[in-house]
Amino acid sequence: MSLFLWVIFPYLCLAVFVVGHAWRYRYDAFGWTTRSSQLYEDRLLRLGSPLFHFGMLGVVGGHVIGLLIPRSWTDAVGIDEHRYHLGAVIGGLIAGVMALVGLAILVYRRRTVGPVFSATTAMDKVMYLVLTVVITLGMWNTIAGSTLNLGGEYDYREGVSVWYRSFLAFQPDASLMTQAPIGFKLHALAAFALFALWPFTRLVHVFSAPVGYLTRPYIVYRSRDVRPLGTSAARRGWERVGS
Amino acid sequence: MTQDVPVDSSLEGALSTALIAGRRFFTRATVSDDQRALFKQGGRSGDAFYRDRWSHDKVVRSTHGVNCTGSCSWKVYVKDGIITWEAQQTDYPSAGADRPDYEPRGCPRGAAFSWYTYSPTRIRYPYVRGVLLEMYREAKSRLGDPVLAWADIVEDPERAARYKKARGKGGLVRASWAEAAEIYAAATCHTIKRWGPDRIAGFSPIPAMSMVSHASGARWTSLLGGAMLSFYDWYADLPVASPQIFGDQTDVPESGDWWDAGYLIMWGSNIPVTRTPDAHWMTEARYRGQKVIVVAPDYADNVKFADEWLPAAPGTDAALAMAMGHVVLREFFVDDRVDYFTEYVKKYTDLPYLITLDEIAGESGTVYRPGKFLTAAELAGDSGTVEENAAFRPVLLDARTAEPFVPNGSLGHRFGETGAGRWNLDLGDVDPALTLYGAPTPDRAETSAVEVELPRFDVRGPDALLRRGVPVRRVAGRLVTTVLDLMLAQYGVGRPGLPGTFAAGYEDASAPYTPAWQESITGVPAGAVARIAREFAQNAADTRGRSMIIVGAGTNHWFHSDTIYRAMLMLTTITGCQGVNGGGWAHYVGQEKARPITGWAQLAFGLDWSRPPRQMIQTAYWYLHTDQFRYDNYDVEHLAAPNATGRFRGMGTADALALSARLGWMPSYPTFDRNPLDLADDAAASGLEPAEYVVRSLQDGSLRFACEDPDAPENFPRMLTMWRANLFGSSGKGNEYFLKHLLGTDSSVQARETPPDQRPTSLVWRDEAPEGKLDLLCTLDFRMTSSTILSDIVLPAATWYEKHDISTTDMHPFIHSFNPAINPPWQTKTDWDIFHTLAQTFAPLGAKHLGVRRDLVAAPLLHDSPEAMATPHGVVRDWRAGECDPVPGKTMPKLIVVERDYGAIADKMAALGPLMEKLGATTKAITYDVTREVEYLRGKIGVVRAPGSVTDGRPSLVKDIAAAETIMALSGTTNGHLATQGFETLEKRTGTQLADLAREHEGKRITFADTQAAPVPVITSPEWSGSETGGRRYSPFTINTERLKPWHTLTGRQHFYLDHDWIQELGEVLPVFKPPLDMTEIFGEPEIGSVGELGVTVRYLTPHNKWSIHSEYQDNLFMLSLSRGGQAIWMSDVDAAKVGIADNDWIEAVNRNGVVAARAIVSHRMPEGVVYMHHAQDRLIDVPRTETTGKRGGIHNSLTRIMLKPSHIIGGYAQLAFAFNYLGPTGNQRDEVTVIRKRTQPVRY
Repeated sequence: MSLFLWVIFPYLCLAVFVVGHAWRYRYDAFGWTTRSSQLYEDRLLRLGSPLFHFGMLGVVGGHVIGLLIPRSWTDAVGIDEHRYHLGAVIGGLIAGVMALVGLAILVYRRRTVGPVFSATTAMDKVMYLVLTVVITLGMWNTIAGSTLNLGGEYDYREGVSVWYRSFLAFQPDASLMTQAPIGFKLHALAAFALFALWPFTRLVHVFSAPVGYLTRPYIVYRSRDVRPLGTSAARRGWERVGS
Repeated sequence: MTQDVPVDSSLEGALSTALIAGRRFFTRATVSDDQRALFKQGGRSGDAFYRDRWSHDKVVRSTHGVNCTGSCSWKVYVKDGIITWEAQQTDYPSAGADRPDYEPRGCPRGAAFSWYTYSPTRIRYPYVRGVLLEMYREAKSRLGDPVLAWADIVEDPERAARYKKARGKGGLVRASWAEAAEIYAAATCHTIKRWGPDRIAGFSPIPAMSMVSHASGARWTSLLGGAMLSFYDWYADLPVASPQIFGDQTDVPESGDWWDAGYLIMWGSNIPVTRTPDAHWMTEARYRGQKVIVVAPDYADNVKFADEWLPAAPGTDAALAMAMGHVVLREFFVDDRVDYFTEYVKKYTDLPYLITLDEIAGESGTVYRPGKFLTAAELAGDSGTVEENAAFRPVLLDARTAEPFVPNGSLGHRFGETGAGRWNLDLGDVDPALTLYGAPTPDRAETSAVEVELPRFDVRGPDALLRRGVPVRRVAGRLVTTVLDLMLAQYGVGRPGLPGTFAAGYEDASAPYTPAWQESITGVPAGAVARIAREFAQNAADTRGRSMIIVGAGTNHWFHSDTIYRAMLMLTTITGCQGVNGGGWAHYVGQEKARPITGWAQLAFGLDWSRPPRQMIQTAYWYLHTDQFRYDNYDVEHLAAPNATGRFRGMGTADALALSARLGWMPSYPTFDRNPLDLADDAAASGLEPAEYVVRSLQDGSLRFACEDPDAPENFPRMLTMWRANLFGSSGKGNEYFLKHLLGTDSSVQARETPPDQRPTSLVWRDEAPEGKLDLLCTLDFRMTSSTILSDIVLPAATWYEKHDISTTDMHPFIHSFNPAINPPWQTKTDWDIFHTLAQTFAPLGAKHLGVRRDLVAAPLLHDSPEAMATPHGVVRDWRAGECDPVPGKTMPKLIVVERDYGAIADKMAALGPLMEKLGATTKAITYDVTREVEYLRGKIGVVRAPGSVTDGRPSLVKDIAAAETIMALSGTTNGHLATQGFETLEKRTGTQLADLAREHEGKRITFADTQAAPVPVITSPEWSGSETGGRRYSPFTINTERLKPWHTLTGRQHFYLDHDWIQELGEVLPVFKPPLDMTEIFGEPEIGSVGELGVTVRYLTPHNKWSIHSEYQDNLFMLSLSRGGQAIWMSDVDAAKVGIADNDWIEAVNRNGVVAARAIVSHRMPEGVVYMHHAQDRLIDVPRTETTGKRGGIHNSLTRIMLKPSHIIGGYAQLAFAFNYLGPTGNQRDEVTVIRKRTQPVRY
């Protein structure tokens, strides 16, 4: 069972995530979109969207630090357990609350504003549900595990993080997860489910965030390609001349 | 020299500057020094999608076909054999160096048309009503012959009723072309044999915008002997005032001439919405200093272009115009004079002509009533030397000698030997006396003044007669005055010393027709009216006639639109604007202008094989045949003037129609209660001349006019074929009556039949009203419409992007083509091919069952012919009442026998017949010798090789391009040789120089290939009244004013005065205000504005739709998306509040004629008391069942009914004589009211 939960299922999700994106890009390039509803409503959106997105940036950053950076590295630069813990809990709570409040506003808006609700797909609803579950479980782990000390002491940096790195290195050690508290287990499983859903939802926009605009001049000139224009081959007698 | 471009840091800020500057470290692309631009090498693969999206294989020129006045030329794009989209053509001829171009032309509706090619409602295959098809297959297998099979079904009342009741209830099934054509041919054959060819009708409107397609079925119908139904009058688009004033169907300036106007009034015409591609001229002319006025009851789209808006209440436009006329007469003809106006009206109008005054002994002393034109016949008196056509040569007074004078150019000069060379407007040295006021008299004694009695219609009762004085003289023993003197009296413009009551001033609200008087009727401030009238006339005086009024459906679709238009046209005529570039009336309602009209007429009516064709006034046709006459309960007397003679007392509208038919004024088909083929045989058997036989039979009562017993089975219309038309979704006024009586299916008629004491007296009244008169309804279309779903046979037609054809309109002076972007897809065919297919299927049946027959055709007295002189002085004499003898062609219809070889119909359709060389081609009394043209066509389109047949060696019309070439070769506008020849013919009559107008193009011939290359300007031709010579913009009547060619009227001048008996009886001898019909009084509808438990009563108007008109229809997905979608009724917020209706609520509109279910659009744009239901929304999109009847809901015409005005059916008298679409009763629909309420039940479909 643990082999399935902590080895097979995660790799399946990872495979769906990778192949799914390739498939989506290949067959639905024009559907690769945030499905923005800003045209229909922007008052609530202006509040909820930045809250959620900047909160999520913090959450992602926290996960990078917590999951990918081994304890030995932070120890080496002199961050002791207490300071790390303090930073993780305070930062995690702020980011988590931002994301959760932002999400609540966005979901409220989506349900109550008619045109926005009309533009909501079934896949959106599934995605919102899973996303909410993942974030809520993550918050619960932060609060329950680290602050309230419910369910005993657990240092995820010794368990979940190590398992995650072994998973990324394709040498998965399922036993590390079997010892983790149920909250962490559920969070991880829900997160993988979200990754599996990812390519089929609006979340694909993460990979097309327009960060290039930050440094882009107003006008972009692209010189003519040598390759033929359009997808059909030039007909005889109609070949292009010059360059 | 190079300069550093400083970076404006205020624009970007330090942060963005730093960010962009940092980019250069991460890219090989170059960032420009000013940081505005990035230069990349390649990376264009993303373009491929767009390149593919807009790539195409070919571009084909076409346009939009039935009735789009824009008639813009379009580029139709085709990719992989699929029509993908269309875009505007840009290669129009130039309008001149100093003015804007025609281009840009196009509108969103036209750009949406290509949707139809592959739309879900496209008709792809022939369909036949399932129950009928089963019966037919059964009968044919039993009887073995198609004609016998059809007869077996329709002669069996039970089976006939069964398939007729199924109409409109689904159940159309696919049939093969062969089978569908066979049923149609069998029905045609049986109908001709059993009932007669005049029981067959064809309906296709507006030939100008696809002449070949129109001609296809018209040629078929005409060769059979069937009746082609008129459309211009039926659509109420014909402004009857035009024949009345100008003796011309309608002739108007092209839109490019709006640019020439200095003062422009848009009056009931919403240019940006209904004439979108031409609206740019109006907006551009404003930059030239043109002042723009809008008269519209609602805040219409064109109001925002206007300098001033006069929101006149609906239907009161004549009151406004009369008040403006009052101001113009007062300030420019009495208090002051403008030489330009005076000279113009003397020369080009009937204002100086003498009118006799009839003496009436009244209780309060002797009064007079305006009578007839004084003519040369009266001048001759007892002297005995009566000149030719004397009764048609009216008289004026020479101001120099004070002697009566008979000017040239009258109708009496147009025909007959003595008129040759004298039919012109040249007055020589004569100075016509416009008024007798203070005019010198030969003996300086006889001038005096008398009171005339003038009816008014804004009030009832004893005050409805005005008594106003006119100066008079006695000429040839008769008391006379001039038309101008009568006009001044009519308008209430007094002069010192004249008796009677005149207006005290503009502020006199009690006296018609002052500005203050109109304010209480129209709601427009008196001051604004006076000022705008003054400006309009002053502009005309300053610019010599460059003041223009664009008039439209808003003012033209009323019952009394002829009086409305006469009041408005008085303004443009009296100020010398008619016949001047940039001036005059501009009426764009319905499209009459097939510029190559001569060629089209020959082809469409089969004039190359047999004459005359049967042409019917459609309003009268349906008034009788849909039994709407059975619900009319008012006397024509109701419309008469308060001082009428009682001529109309006891006369119903149907009685008036019967009289009109009997006297040969208007056509009437079916004509007699006997098959005209049998009638010809009976005549032959009797040994009498056919005409004599008919006259005798009519007199002894053995033969009757069919219109006197329309409900007798032998008088039913039996077959109707429609193409390019949607009678049951668009033009069928009284839709529910059509459904009930003509088609015999479910209807929502709410009205009761007329009680016995109010029924027409000269008609047979059958107690049982027939239902399902029509045996076969066949419709050709490319989309499912209200008409196709009611049809028995539906044939799949090609769209406008799938055939060859030609198009012209009155809005622009060029001709251009339709071309197939793709071949007709699925089993569709072009109209031309369809009718040839039907003819070929019919031919063997015709040969077997009919053979060669003689057909007795009754034809009315025609305009532009000597027959228009049948009624001297417009005095009505009825042969049936013994007032005169029945003389065919004089006091009754012409009776002509035509031979029909029914086995050869298909061959004749496909060949140009020999009458072309033998009789020539006649348009407006000018006959063209086309021998040379036929020879040219032989070479151009090939000849028929059929030894032994009548068609052997004739030019071949098998292909649609050949038809187009024939139309153009046989018309002056497209063939310079014919134009010049026509003018030379005309010169012999006028004695003035004309042929130079066309001589610059004498060798020019427009071919179909020319029209494919680009729109081609047409040639000035006597077929029309304006000149394009030298590349000038087309304006009507410029040939009349500049070359002294008379108008086609009694005097040869523009008529303010009409003296026909019936016009006198209606009180319409001069322009007058008649309010909209009072539906409360006539039909007992609730009063407008009243709120009852059934809802609020409002005036119900059906104007044109912004989202579907002319170039596409209401079902187009794009336009449905842009608009509200589905049937909707616009109403004001005030009316909506009265009955608790909110925007988008489902509502129901109910009146005696029917029921409509629709959504409400509540808008403060609408005035209180008025609703708009846009025209032709059809019954196919979002039409639920109604609450009132539970039947599926109604269309805009479910609430209307045919209201027929008797003055429109006058004939046989000068300009008041019939010609197809020239004169006829209008199918008006604006005077209607309805009750509107909110729907309470949930909507069910």
